[in-house]
Parts: sequence; C-alpha cells; structure tokens
Amino acid sequence: MDRTLQNFITALRRSGVRISVAETMDALRAAELSGYGDRWMLKDFLSASLAKSMPEKEIFEVCFSRFFSLDYITGEDFLFENENLPPILQGEAPLTQIFISGDVGGLAMALRAAGERADIRSIQSWTQKGLFMQRLFQELGLEGLNRDIRRLAEVGGQDALNQAKALESMRDNLMERVRTLVERQLELYAARRSYELSEGYIKNARLSALDERDLARIHKIIQRMVKHLKDRYSRRPRAARRGNLDFRKTFRKSITYGGLPFDTHWKSKKIDRPEIVVICDVSRSVSNIVRFFLLILYSLNEVISRIRSFVFCTNLVEVSPLFEMHPLHEALAMLRSGAGIPILLGRTDYGGSFLDFKDQYSDCLTKRATVIILGDARNNYSEPHTEALRFISERCKRLIWLNPETPSLWGSGDSEMKKYLPYCNIARECSTLRHLERVVEYLLRVHDR
Amino acid sequence: MSTSNTKFATVEVVRKALKDVGYIATTQIAHTLYLAYHLEKPVLVEGPAGVGKTELAKAAAAFMGVPLIRLQCYEGLDESKALYEWKYGKQLLYTQLLKDKLDSVIEGETNLAESIEKLHQYDDIFFSPQFLEPRPLLKALQQKDGAVLLVDEVDKSDDEFEAFLLEILSDFQVSIPEIGTIEATSKPFVFLTSNSTRELGEALRRRCLHLYISFPEQGLEREIVMTRVPGISERLTRQLVSFIHQVRKLDIKKLPSVSETIDWAKTLVILHAETLDKEMVRETLNTFLKAQEDIRVTEEKLYTLTEHALREAT
Repeated sequence: MDRTLQNFITALRRSGVRISVAETMDALRAAELSGYGDRWMLKDFLSASLAKSMPEKEIFEVCFSRFFSLDYITGEDFLFENENLPPILQGEAPLTQIFISGDVGGLAMALRAAGERADIRSIQSWTQKGLFMQRLFQELGLEGLNRDIRRLAEVGGQDALNQAKALESMRDNLMERVRTLVERQLELYAARRSYELSEGYIKNARLSALDERDLARIHKIIQRMVKHLKDRYSRRPRAARRGNLDFRKTFRKSITYGGLPFDTHWKSKKIDRPEIVVICDVSRSVSNIVRFFLLILYSLNEVISRIRSFVFCTNLVEVSPLFEMHPLHEALAMLRSGAGIPILLGRTDYGGSFLDFKDQYSDCLTKRATVIILGDARNNYSEPHTEALRFISERCKRLIWLNPETPSLWGSGDSEMKKYLPYCNIARECSTLRHLERVVEYLLRVHDR
Repeated sequence: MSTSNTKFATVEVVRKALKDVGYIATTQIAHTLYLAYHLEKPVLVEGPAGVGKTELAKAAAAFMGVPLIRLQCYEGLDESKALYEWKYGKQLLYTQLLKDKLDSVIEGETNLAESIEKLHQYDDIFFSPQFLEPRPLLKALQQKDGAVLLVDEVDKSDDEFEAFLLEILSDFQVSIPEIGTIEATSKPFVFLTSNSTRELGEALRRRCLHLYISFPEQGLEREIVMTRVPGISERLTRQLVSFIHQVRKLDIKKLPSVSETIDWAKTLVILHAETLDKEMVRETLNTFLKAQEDIRVTEEKLYTLTEHALREAT
C-alpha cells in the first residue's frame, strides 16, 4: 500500500476523523487516479473520500496542509551560503559534501531518509522532542560535519576559515530545520493522539476523576452513545409492532371481496416506554456522575416517555421544571451552580430527603415508574429512615440504586447502603461512562417487550 | 455509466461539459464528480439551502445524456413508495376477468388436490414483472443506458429508510421476494442531498463520497448570473452580486440562495435597470428575501449596502 497515503490516514485518524477500511480503499484508488502531481486535485479527491462531514472537513484541511507541506520543508527556501565551495579537505563526511556542492535535492533526501530511520512518526509527546532531534542529527551524520569544521579550523588559512564559517552557518540553519520538522511531525502525529485513547479510556475512567477539560470529549462520546441507544431502541419495524389478527375488522372488510378475507387487519401492540423518576444526591462526591446521567437520560427523550428528576443534599427539591424550561445544557449548568434551586448544600441527609419525597411527591410513584437513586448512601450518621425507602419501593415498578462506590465499600463507615439494599430491586456500582451506558441500556431493554 | 466514458476523460472535460449545460462548477465540484464516476460511488452533497445541490444532479444528467430519476424524501417514506409495489388493482381485475379461463384450466379434475396441483403451474403469473409497479429506486436500476438517481433531502427520511438505502447504494441491486434479485443493468450515478436537519448515520456517510457546497465566491456567482441571465450587463452583475454577498453577512433568518440571486437578476433585467438604485432595490427585495423580518432588517441598512455595492463594483 502507498506509504504516504497510509501515513496521512494515520494522521487523520489521530486527529479524530473516523476512517473505515473501505474508505481507505477509496482513498487509495482516488490517489491512483490523481497522482501526486496536482496538489489541488489530490486534496479534493481525498477530501471527498475521507472526510464525510463538516467538522471532519475542517480537520482534514488542517491535516492536509500540515502533512503535505512537510515535503517542501527542505525545498528551494533552504539557503545555501555559497553556490559552490572549493573542496579543501580530503574524505569529507557525506553531509559536508552535500553542503559544499549545494545539493538541495540530496539534502532533502538525506533528511527524509534520516527521518525514516529515526522512526520519527512514532513521536508521541513534547517531552520526546529533544530525543528525536538527537536521533535525527545522528542519522544525518552531524558529527561528521562537526569534525570537518574542526579540521578546517586546524588547517587554517583564509579559505579554510571562510569555508568553516559557511559550513557552520549552514549547520545552524539545518538544525533549525530539523527542529521545525520534528515539531510538525509532533503536531501531526501526536497533537491529538489522546483522541485515540479517548473512547476506551474515558468510558472506563472514574467520572469523578476526569478533568474539566475532558468535558467536551465526554459530551461527544455521550452524544454518540445516545445516538446508538436511540437507534437501537427507537427503530422498531412495523412488523414487530404488529399484534394479533383483528378478526372483526378483517371480517368486515372481507365483505368487499365476496367473503374472502383478502385484506387482513392486525391489532397493534402498545409500546411501553419507561417512565423514570430520578433522585440524585448532588453533594460533591457524586455531582459529576449525576450530571452525565441526567445528560444521557434527557437526551433520550424520544424513547423515554416521562422523566421526573429530583435532587437532594440536606433537603430534596424537584428539578424537572428546569429541564422543561431551559435547553439541556443550560439546565445542567444551572443545576451545577445551584442557581435558582432552593436546595441546602449542608450535610447530606438521605433519610430526611426520602421522607421529603414520600410526603410531597409520592404522586409520581406509579406502577409504571422506575425509580433510580444515585448516591453513595453516606448519611453522616443520621437516621436512615429505611421505612421511607420501603414506602417508595413498594409503590413503583422497580427501584434501582446506583452507587459510585465499589460494592466492597458499601456499609463501611457512615455508608447506609447495606440497610437500604433490601428495598432495591437492583443495586449497582456506577462510576464510569461504561456503567452508565449499561444502566440506561438495561432500562430501555426491559421496557422493549 | 460506461457509455459516457469520454465525457469523464479529464476533470477539465467534466467542468466544461457542466458549463455547457449551464452549471458553473468549482474545481472541487468537478473533481468530486470525476472521482465519483471513476470509483462508481454515490455522492452525498451537503450545504446550505439553495446553493445548487439539486441543480448539480440535473446538470449531471443533462450532460451525460441520461434520464434523471428523482426520489424526494419525506418523513414516513417507505419501500412501497421508493422501490416497488404490486399493482393490486390490476391483479384483482385480472383474476375476475380470467375466472372463466380458470374454470377451463381445472376442468376435468374431480378432486381438490388435483385442481390445486394444476393451478400451481400458473401461480407465478400474477407476481410477474407485468404486475410490478416500479418506483424511483427500481426504475433507476432498470434503465438500460444508466441514469442519474437523485435522492433528494435524504435527511428528511427516517432512520429505517436510511438503513434500507444502504443495500442499494453498496450493491446496486434489490431483492423482490416473488421474482428474485434485480441487478442494475448499468449502475446509476447517485446523488444524495442533505440540508442537515438530522444528523445522517455513519454507515451512510461511509458509503458515499462527500461534497460540501458552500455559497459561491463573488467571481463565481457573477459567472453563474451571466450564464443564467442572458442580456444582463457586467456592471449590474457586479453590483447585485456584491449586494447579495453583503446581505449574506447580515444576521437574517434565511440567507438568499444562488437561485434567488438569479431571480433578482432576471427581475432587474425585466425592469430595464442599468445600475442598482435604492428605490428599485427596496421594491425588489422580496425576490430574494422571503421573511418579513429579514426584509425589515435589510431595509434598515439599505443605504449603506447599496452604496457599498456601487463602490465595490467600480
């Protein structure tokens, strides 16, 4: 396979463009059609076959100009001091020979070959810059050049000194070029290398440990996750919705066809979309997870019939109106800052909050509702009021508890998880995106019958 | 597609051919068309409304000299509207008409089993191509000399339909249970257009080449106007294109499209305008601005916009 193209596709992938094998084949044929002579044709061809959406087109533009400008790095703008220097030394190093003869093409080739040998494409981070520059110098044979310069100085005489000077300045020039080359390569192959790690890594990383700056990426991943879930659970072919034969209707219609049941009618099955009540602890320990969980749930509004959400810390308040009145991201931001929500952020009180819920909002406990509680059950040693949870559990279809702590920690210290456990239909650890995904999938699947 | 091989000899040939049928293409468009022809791949065209996405397909059909078959997508579009349908009425009518014939076919048979056995020899008759009503997709596959298939506004269709399109786009064949698989006699040239009302699936994108058409630059738009509106002066073209480009920078709901630029140019030619003047612009604003709010916003800045257009054009 075409090496250059392969490298380019690697660079694109690392920058976050998703490219399939089939698309690689297309690009290969496209490059064969255009050749590398016409830069614009090549660019349009590759753009059409590799970048398939606006954001990808933008990334493509940047990558293309970076990648294919590398070829010109040692081009005509590389300044040779003198056109031709008279050879003074015997048995110069190859690099000195190139400099003395002013062989631009030779230098370009030497640089490229050195880059290949130094395996410059494997560069991954800024810390390796020095290392790769050293390797390149070594491969180029900079030592030989330095030795020649020293020898020239030893020989002495005006000519030799002039030549040494010229060689020195060309060497500095070259070093500058090498630095640029390494930096470009770094931008190309490593700038967003983390993107490669992202999906797998972020999905399994503890959400509470993730950085604020990863947020944008998490949102992207969530978007894709949501799309996936939607596709899977909203796509119900008509056949699947078809229930039993509607005998009465079919019979009535058959009169038109002389009593033959030619045109059949079918009853349609009712689709049971889940109704969800979320009760979230918003104290610091779980706030990140709550945020992403709500983000996923509310993004799935097409496949979920109704969500009511409550948050609690010292007391419990309903926040569903927030999501009805504001766009999703604004609502989440408001929830995070706590603006306009009458919530007391003191000691977390699970027992008290469950009592609040029982007293004020028990109307949302129906036989169709799934109640999901998100929290670590760390009650600061106050009364757990398990009877309130029992009340909730008895009146809903299902009660799911998602705990960001691992099960081995449940019940340790001020955690009341063990006491609440008997009233939960399901209790799961939930600290990563992968966990969240599984929970949501479970919710939708159970309702998919 | 094989017949028009010479028409796709080089990119320049494609571009000239498009120009001959009245479509001024950027190099990028010509490149993508050329590539799509040689890779035999569908082209997914995206871009703002009115930049000539549909027009491109029409132009391609015109210069290739093949019929354009158009499938307009909408919510709820399904196989029976897009691919094929049995002619139920005709089937029923024929069974009624042929009742006597049926009697004679099973004549002489005394028991039911034998009658049915005899009927079985004929049972494919009513599900033969004669009773098949081809819809756009099937029609496109059946064209002997190829065709241009335009799947317009594919983003308006449902996810299910998108998935269904995949089969046709990758293999250019469809299977009809009663008849069998129908393969394309010659592969149609497929265009899909989208206005991004809905994010299209990755799978669909992967199977297509992607082309993004944005609003043309002034030079190109001038060329378009000059080709499409014969008899317009170069000066007026410069002025009105400059004006439109300024309007596109304003904060309005619906940006004027290329086709609306052409409409406006035609209007001005009919009104015998030699040069833009404020009153005439004010009266003809509604040829390229379709929302009252947009017209109001533009009218407020009419003076500066016109002045600027006049200055820029000289």
